[in-house]
Amino acid sequence: MDIEEVKQRAGPREFSPKDEMPEKYRKAATRMIQFHANSEIMGAYLEKPFIRQAPSLDRKLAFSAKVQDEIGHGQLLYRAAESLGIKTRDEMLDELAEGKGKFLNCFHYPMDSYVETPMIAFFVDGAAMRRQATLKSTSWEPYAHAMDKVCFEEGFHVKHGEAILYELMTGSKKEQEMTQEAFDEWWPRIIQFFGPTNEKSTHHGFASEVGLKQMSNDDLRTAFLNAYIPKAEKYGLEIPEEPRISKNDDGTYEVVEEDLDWDEFFTIAKNDYEPGVGQINGRKAAQDAVEWVRESLDSHENRLYGSSQPQAAD
Amino acid sequence: MAAVEELSEPDDLTADEREAVQHQLFRLADDEFVVAERYTEWQVKAPTLESDLAFSNIAQDELGHARLWYDLLQDWGAEESELIWERDPSEWRHSTLAELPFDEGDWADPVLRSYLYDVAEDIQLRALQDSSYPRIRDRVGKILGEEDYHREHAANWLERLCEEEESRARVQDALDRLFPHALTLFAPTDEAVEERIDELGIRSEPLVTMREEWLDEVIPFLESLGLSVDDAELPEQYDVHHSQLELPEHTGRDQSHTDAWFDLHDDFTHTYQELGRTSAERIMKDPDDE
Repeated sequence: MDIEEVKQRAGPREFSPKDEMPEKYRKAATRMIQFHANSEIMGAYLEKPFIRQAPSLDRKLAFSAKVQDEIGHGQLLYRAAESLGIKTRDEMLDELAEGKGKFLNCFHYPMDSYVETPMIAFFVDGAAMRRQATLKSTSWEPYAHAMDKVCFEEGFHVKHGEAILYELMTGSKKEQEMTQEAFDEWWPRIIQFFGPTNEKSTHHGFASEVGLKQMSNDDLRTAFLNAYIPKAEKYGLEIPEEPRISKNDDGTYEVVEEDLDWDEFFTIAKNDYEPGVGQINGRKAAQDAVEWVRESLDSHENRLYGSSQPQAAD
Repeated sequence: MAAVEELSEPDDLTADEREAVQHQLFRLADDEFVVAERYTEWQVKAPTLESDLAFSNIAQDELGHARLWYDLLQDWGAEESELIWERDPSEWRHSTLAELPFDEGDWADPVLRSYLYDVAEDIQLRALQDSSYPRIRDRVGKILGEEDYHREHAANWLERLCEEEESRARVQDALDRLFPHALTLFAPTDEAVEERIDELGIRSEPLVTMREEWLDEVIPFLESLGLSVDDAELPEQYDVHHSQLELPEHTGRDQSHTDAWFDLHDDFTHTYQELGRTSAERIMKDPDDE
């Protein structure tokens, strides 16, 4: 199939491994799904300390389950990415460890306090859910299929985040103040989740022409702000003065771009932002420390099947 | 075994009976909570995505069991906050096996630890199936069902790791270190109270008998994998046919703990302290209503 035919046929769940897809499509889809899978893993890494530091038994269980879900999403998405025949899962996990794999801007920032957890679990996950919902109709069928499960579980995550936010904002004055401070710090990053406006996004054009991407960053940002500004206010959070946001008559939002730190954003996008580098390396160190187990498993598989193909244990 | 008399409802127990039931419950609840607290350290750090998912399930199962046992301790008015978040670390009764820290990357440890722990848990739960205390008896069945999977998971991993000389050596190291602590799973909280637990029929097997049963199961299995328990120091009290057994300095059960426990306790109560909380948020249904 050539690119023109791909563009003509591009529609929800239109293409699958049965189709002969051009390399340009397969690479673009791999880039997108790998980014998504990496984000699940790094999101899990970021939230993991709060399994331990959750302040009740039920919350601890919920954090453990959420982190587990994210690892599960990573697993599903790497499989969907592998189905494009460009990279294996091991290659993608290696790239993530080596700092070559890209992932969401918000997961490059460290989280030090429990009051920050709803910034990820409510706002960032809420933003991610909007994007993911549109990806149920992406043109690469295995990706869309993975989204069915991911979106279902993300619904629980956002509820978990919302419940924690409610608990904090109806808690002591100190809790409310700490939560507002965390919100002030995270709000600009959350807006940047949707990236710069379309003109600056290099990959948008092709990805939307071939049906991989379903909605523009601007439309997604508007939909998010429409839903989440009222939600934040409902829980008693004050929207920070910057970035300045104005609502147009047609319901869209205008965010004053120069109020946001785009240097930091693009440093992050290159995996060069210092706290994020620490997170990437922290995960790498943990994975290197269990390399001996993977080697032992490979020997086990070789003995059983006489193949050199690495296989995972269950 | 002679038929034992059924114990009364929580509020109608004598002080001695209540103390015995509470000791039994703290043994169970603290073990599950603390071992799960350690297991969750492997989330996002397990060797493969698949092993990460499987081990997370096990941690959550154990946390769920802790929830069931702490819930029974609430029958006498204590809240979760008092039982977990505000209880002094020197009052906990879990085995020291549960609290020991892991070395980075030492996957042999959690695999072996969960094997030693799950075999013991299975034996202890079976001794509670005919408990004279109905509230315990009613919850044992649900928990036992999940333990089969845990043991199978741990045994499969041990078999694989022990096929290779290098990884078997790592399991052996973990065994030398963990085995004495695993024996504390069967150590008494207090000799007199443990005797009362047996006399009242709260459990059907005394600790000594269960420990022998456990040794008879784990030692042949570990030896079949090419591991040696000779190097491990085994305690001699209650000895029936295993000699030279010695317990570590701290058994946990008697409320003496290793330093690692106090660090772990600081860490998991961090948010509760930082936010100045006075209660623990429940988000799931009460187990009695499930």
